[in-house]
Amino acid sequence: MSLTVHTQYSENAAIITVEGSLDSATAPQLDEQVKEVVQKNPEALVLNVEKLDFMSSAGLRIIIFAKQKLGASVSLTLVKPQEQLIETLKMTGLIHSVHIVDAYP
Amino acid sequence: MKKTFSIPAEPDSLEVIRGHIDSVAEDAGLDKKKAYKLKLAVDEIAANIINYGFQATDSVKEPIEITMELLEQHLSVTLEDHAIPFNPLEKAIPGEEDLKKEPEDRPIGGLGIMLARSNVDDFSYEFSKGKNINKLTIHI
Repeated sequence: MSLTVHTQYSENAAIITVEGSLDSATAPQLDEQVKEVVQKNPEALVLNVEKLDFMSSAGLRIIIFAKQKLGASVSLTLVKPQEQLIETLKMTGLIHSVHIVDAYP
Repeated sequence: MKKTFSIPAEPDSLEVIRGHIDSVAEDAGLDKKKAYKLKLAVDEIAANIINYGFQATDSVKEPIEITMELLEQHLSVTLEDHAIPFNPLEKAIPGEEDLKKEPEDRPIGGLGIMLARSNVDDFSYEFSKGKNINKLTIHI
């Protein structure tokens, strides 16, 4: 399954679509694009994870990194996370640091 | 049902391990949620071994041996590795207070081990004959 990552910009938001499995083997692909996006100082970061079937702590670390770099004023939104991903976010308390929506914008 | 295989201690093995768990979980008629939890827990332990277990310059990355055992009430996955001794049950994991913190203020380590421990019903560790033996079990 591996991972595909695609970044686009809309208005002042960066939208990264992530599909497949996000584990410690594939995380560097997303990490690289998040680092690139962060440098452009977007007003919002949106991760479309509707087709993300698996996410380990390697993905959580990228979310934490992004929040740390972007600062509290920049929102981080997850579009349509699957139920198990929401469970992981709840278990680790990160659910309170992200917005969860069914569609963006 | 018992199945044993060994796999290189390389990141690409993680997906292969999850695939094995999926197929056993399907045979066991395990619901998707439980199968995911077991996959996540095993993935975190395996990733830890692969990423941190062989950092000494002279260490040979010996394969990880994985045994999956399906009993009437339980499905267990045992990982045996020759990496440096590491007991996940003794590793400090983020406490409740840490988990409430904003991402800006939280410690970044320990999340994987926390997920491994909290997603299975039983987690045991022993170091025996030069091997780390991690056994993760879920109730069916």
